[in-house]
Amino acid sequence: MKRYWPLIFLPALIGVGFRIAAALGWYDDYILSIRADTSTLAMLGGIIITAVLAVLLVVFKWRDKQHQDQLARHETNRAAERRQFLQRLDHELKNPLTAIQAALVNVSGAENTDTIESIRTQAKRIGRLVADLRKLAELETRPIERAPVDLEGVLRESVAIVQKMPDSERRSLHLSLPQAPWPLPRVLGDEDLLMLAVHNLLDNAIKFTPLGATVEVRAFEDNDIVTVEVADTGSGMAVDEIPHVWQELYRGSGARAVPGSGLGLPLVRAIVERHGGQVGIRSRVDQGTVFSMRLPAIDVPEL
Amino acid sequence: MTDKPNILLVDDEQDIRDNLASFLNRSGFRTSIAADGEGALRQMEAISPDLVVLDVLMPRIDGREVLRQLRRSDNWTPVILLTQVGEAYERAMALEEGADDYLNKPFDPQELVARIRAVLRRARPDSPPLSASWELRCADLSMDRRARRVYLGESEQSLTPKAFTLLEYLMTHPDELLDRERLLDVVWGWEYPAGTRAVDTRIAELRRVLSDDPANPVYIETVPSGGYRFIGRVETGK
Repeated sequence: MKRYWPLIFLPALIGVGFRIAAALGWYDDYILSIRADTSTLAMLGGIIITAVLAVLLVVFKWRDKQHQDQLARHETNRAAERRQFLQRLDHELKNPLTAIQAALVNVSGAENTDTIESIRTQAKRIGRLVADLRKLAELETRPIERAPVDLEGVLRESVAIVQKMPDSERRSLHLSLPQAPWPLPRVLGDEDLLMLAVHNLLDNAIKFTPLGATVEVRAFEDNDIVTVEVADTGSGMAVDEIPHVWQELYRGSGARAVPGSGLGLPLVRAIVERHGGQVGIRSRVDQGTVFSMRLPAIDVPEL
Repeated sequence: MTDKPNILLVDDEQDIRDNLASFLNRSGFRTSIAADGEGALRQMEAISPDLVVLDVLMPRIDGREVLRQLRRSDNWTPVILLTQVGEAYERAMALEEGADDYLNKPFDPQELVARIRAVLRRARPDSPPLSASWELRCADLSMDRRARRVYLGESEQSLTPKAFTLLEYLMTHPDELLDRERLLDVVWGWEYPAGTRAVDTRIAELRRVLSDDPANPVYIETVPSGGYRFIGRVETGK
């Protein structure tokens, strides 16, 4: 396309050529007089202008689409590169970790039990990080199950699990589910993954709230969308930190002292997006945070 | 002490090899080591071990190729593959190529010992393991692993992919106590906060589809505070 653009000067060149030829007397110029009524002229002029505009429009649309395609290709490449990076990192971490675990069973019973215990704890931490990295890498590629999932059961179960965590009884944990006029509709997806997402949000809320704080889990349906919210009266986050919480390995200023892989929330986002949903966050410093996941509902009662 | 089983441990990473070998020796095995695929094949000839623990990713001849060469020459020494990637298809491959079991890296060395013992107990000398067979039968139940289909008598039953994978693993490891963590690793390849639930729901699905009464099971038995066990007698189908 680029190589042919000088052709647009061709009609002008031919015209100028004729005029020069006439001026030099190489060409027997004659006068052509046209008579037309104004309405016909107006019609022809209108049609020509419309045609020119239409051509321009098509050209711009086409260019826009090319641009979009290029962006999409670029995005796909980047996603593929990122996935490869995650897989390689996962792989490179696994062998040393296997060696450390194998070495640790050989030193048990030695004298420095505290030292060994701390190595063991740290190895477990790396192990969790590696496991989360793998989940993240796999989530983007592996097919997910599409079965009707009863979110109510998932929420009740997740709350029950979190309640067994140490110290959780010192925070008040509420679960509120709609009953009237109808219960929460089901969503289509993978129950295990949805449970993992809810668990990560809850685990997060418990970890980042002080003792005595309130954590609320609620779910509701609106316009064929089921929203699950996990709200806490914790320390909240500054506005400039909020967009980063979904990034891999991001640790907010308040999170450095709290154990975690830094991959919990990115996993939530990956799971929700694989289910065709969206995640959201609202937060205020010193007041608390609300995390939400919005998922397309099925079998909503007809109006 | 000559009745100690001979284990051949193959891994290209020296620290893994040395540490695992001394742990296995203390756990009641006699362990030989090889650092790569060629070494593994040489050792196989020299010492004919009772079981091979084989790393998949190695330079030159990788673990898969070693396994293929062994099976092609009709050598059915039990093999436990140490796999690297947790992806479902990779796990299926480990079984399809005639490995008796597999373990995802990184793993708890105790788990490796448990796997080795279970495989040795089940192994029938010089014959292919159940996991190398495309068709499995047990009473009314039959499984076509290639087509991923399950039949009760003549009628095909519909299972979710995860339930199928779980049943496949249970049937290829019959009479073996499998704890929920192990089964979770089989179905998902990762640990999971509510692991017991994820496994229990799939087991419930299997029991419903197979009409297996948990109180009086024909196929899957619940072992209190232990896990599950496939109790039926599994045969390979032709």
